[in-house]
Amino acid sequence: MSDAIKVGDQLPETVIGPFDASSLVRYAEVSGDANPLHLDDAVAEAIGLAAPPVHGMKLLAAFEPMLRAWRGDLVIASLAGKFVQPILRGETVRLSGRVLRASDDEIFVRLTAYGAARAPGIVGEATLRPKAAT
Amino acid sequence: MPLEPLRALGPFRLRVDPARVAAYARETGGDCASVPLAYPAVWLSEPSLFSAVHDLCAELDVVPVHESQSFSYDKPLVAGESYDLSVTMSREEAPPRLIMAAIVATPGGETCARIETLLRLVPRAGFGSAS
Repeated sequence: MSDAIKVGDQLPETVIGPFDASSLVRYAEVSGDANPLHLDDAVAEAIGLAAPPVHGMKLLAAFEPMLRAWRGDLVIASLAGKFVQPILRGETVRLSGRVLRASDDEIFVRLTAYGAARAPGIVGEATLRPKAAT
Repeated sequence: MPLEPLRALGPFRLRVDPARVAAYARETGGDCASVPLAYPAVWLSEPSLFSAVHDLCAELDVVPVHESQSFSYDKPLVAGESYDLSVTMSREEAPPRLIMAAIVATPGGETCARIETLLRLVPRAGFGSAS
């Protein structure tokens, strides 16, 4: 299963966004997360942000298509992320991944999402397995 | 370290609405061919569930800030099917956090997924009006 997958392999970087206000409104509507922090400039400004942050879940969810595009022959058994710092509306987002562990049964990938800041907005992880083993 | 087991919520019988799945996939870059892994996050906004978070935050005068999220699957969810969502809420004190651990199971009791949502509880006074 893990032929051609080795520890240290980099997944092809995926660039998404920038997301505008209407995109955040649509995500709020479909997800039910209508926290005004994501939708109201004044609320974001009140806590020192230059613009509303993109919903962290919208960005975490975007790793799934990246992982499927990388290895569609594997099943994604888990996806997790820590929302380290806000990625703001209008910022281009770079999603990347690197294989930290690889065996015949399981591939463990470190995921990161970067906005305009030097530090990552999301640090995550995913576990992928062969379809026959799930 | 857990402060105390707060409460168990549910199970809530929830349907994976195909139209909402398609909309969620569109907004997160998916292809609508399967239920997005992160789709159960929409259930956390269900009034029957989120009201418990809202009430606790009002009582503590804090604002919940989404700190981390995880989804672990035994089997994929299927659009159009219904599932039972059972949630346990617990708190940590330092730093203040609310942990929501959820299990998604078929109506027959077969576990499909485990979800953990970690909310940092930020004093409202230090968070402007962002609630």
